[in-house]
Amino acid sequence: MLKRCLCILSCLLSLPALATELAVTVLTEDGKPMPGAVIYLTSEQALPGVEEGAVATMDQVNKQFAPHILVVQKGTQVSFPNSDSIQHHVYSFSAAKTFQLQLYKDNNPAPLPFDAEGKVELGCNVHDWMLGYIYVVDTPYFGQTNKKGQLSLNIADGDYRLHIRHPRIEEASANLDRNLSIHADEQVAIQLKQPLLPGLNEFEDDTDEFIGYE
Amino acid sequence: MNKTLLAAILCLFTFIGHGAEISGVIQLSALKADPQHNWQQQGTGILRQNQSGLNLQQALLDVSQSLIGGLEIEAVFNLHEDGEKHLGLTQASLRYKPLSPSPYKFRARAGFFYPEMSFENPGTGWLSPYTYTQSAINSWLGEELRLAGLELGIYSPGRQRRSPWSWELYAGAFRGNDPLGTLLSWRGWAMHDRQSLHHDRVLFAALPAVTDRIIHPAWVEPFHEIDGRTGFYIGGHLEYYNKSRFRYYYYDNNADPLAFNSQRLYAWHTKFHSVAFSQQIGEHIRLLGQWMTGSTEMGVRWVYADLNAWYLMLSHRIERHRFSLRYDHFSISEDDIWPWDYNDSHGEGLTLNWRYQFDQHWQVGIEQHINNSSATNRMTVGEPINSDQQQTLAVLEFRW
Repeated sequence: MLKRCLCILSCLLSLPALATELAVTVLTEDGKPMPGAVIYLTSEQALPGVEEGAVATMDQVNKQFAPHILVVQKGTQVSFPNSDSIQHHVYSFSAAKTFQLQLYKDNNPAPLPFDAEGKVELGCNVHDWMLGYIYVVDTPYFGQTNKKGQLSLNIADGDYRLHIRHPRIEEASANLDRNLSIHADEQVAIQLKQPLLPGLNEFEDDTDEFIGYE
Repeated sequence: MNKTLLAAILCLFTFIGHGAEISGVIQLSALKADPQHNWQQQGTGILRQNQSGLNLQQALLDVSQSLIGGLEIEAVFNLHEDGEKHLGLTQASLRYKPLSPSPYKFRARAGFFYPEMSFENPGTGWLSPYTYTQSAINSWLGEELRLAGLELGIYSPGRQRRSPWSWELYAGAFRGNDPLGTLLSWRGWAMHDRQSLHHDRVLFAALPAVTDRIIHPAWVEPFHEIDGRTGFYIGGHLEYYNKSRFRYYYYDNNADPLAFNSQRLYAWHTKFHSVAFSQQIGEHIRLLGQWMTGSTEMGVRWVYADLNAWYLMLSHRIERHRFSLRYDHFSISEDDIWPWDYNDSHGEGLTLNWRYQFDQHWQVGIEQHINNSSATNRMTVGEPINSDQQQTLAVLEFRW
């Protein structure tokens, strides 16, 4: 009985305890909060893999990708439903995932596996202004900053490398990524050194429901 | 050429058969009509119907099928209650839009289709989502212009270049549109939403100058190749985000105006510029406009007329409601050597439309249209030169 208890205790102790909070704040070059920045932590220590059967969703809503940026752990399946009443033709030429998918109205194809790390840039061959991103990361510790440029992650203690990504960030990743040794709650503030690339968010505006001949 | 292309496209559809996207639109209208006989009854009115009652305003089927390698095939079949032909194709084309990572891309179309020069007709089957009675310009394009040919284009989506500006350039070559200009010369501009079928025949008033002296039938079949010459057009689109859109086209059917066929339909050398814009001016408010100017010629300036038309349209969407108001101005000015063949005409029109979208299938709408027009050749058939017309439409639409 004692052996059994010790065994259970030893197993529990060997599991990473997600008790430590890492708070990250990202500011733009001019000191404003940077919403939507993709933050993730990698480590040389083994991190939990993706949950079996994990499925994330990249929808098509009002002729736009929704969300504009999706972050998934490597091995996640991504489904591409079509919430519009018209056809879409989603494609990517990115090295992390090259594919094309015809999205007919009222027909949702099977999810696609995203098994390689990297940034996947999405376009639509019917609606040329549509642009979306999927960041595939090899860690369970990831998220995006909120409107205040903040993200809070609960992680296990250990040594990590913090990564920051966003399509509008032009700076070399080596200038932004940093090593962290986490053993207690920690706050990290990062300010970008270069201005952001143009957002062109007005492409997302609902300006006209009758566009194009498609 | 157009018949060969259409046959090929239809065969391909038959061959494919499975997995096609099929959309349809049916519009039933209750009409309080203006009684003046229109061109379809060989009268001189410029509205589609002249009898009040229930009508089939539109019935069309749009079938498209994606093929491999960026190819897509599409055909639109229309059913008309009125006119000389009732069932047939209004568009059929093979589109090629290959996937490309480059910000500068290529696309092409071949078949029987409209050049994309207007902003008024982005709906399924080239219908207008704004008004039922279309502008004079697009009423004419719908009844007399279609090209059986090939269009090549390069384009660059701005967002891919991190620019708010997108552009497209097109060049096309076509045949099978030689009688283009007949209706404008002998009837003038009209205002309606009846698109001619690929094998259609469109009547107009039996003007003595036309039927007795020129010995031309009082109808035209718009999509004939008569002289064996190839027409061409070029076009450019410029867009700022999705807010401001601008299109310019130059169209020249390059017809030999001395050529005629066994039906005594002439080839009319018709060329024109078209400028169109669509501008967002507020939340869910857009201002649209188009201006067309050009000329048409038959014989050695036996019949020669300058054509001019423009419209401005304001359209405002409030949730499920859409309100549209359009003003049209149009004219035909002759400058030819046959004084006994009158071609001068001009007019203006005002169209007010309300549409309510219940869901993705059902819509209702009410429209009031008024116009006044003047055509010198009306006196040759014993009718007053000037005419005021108006009509009220209530339309129930189902689409899928």
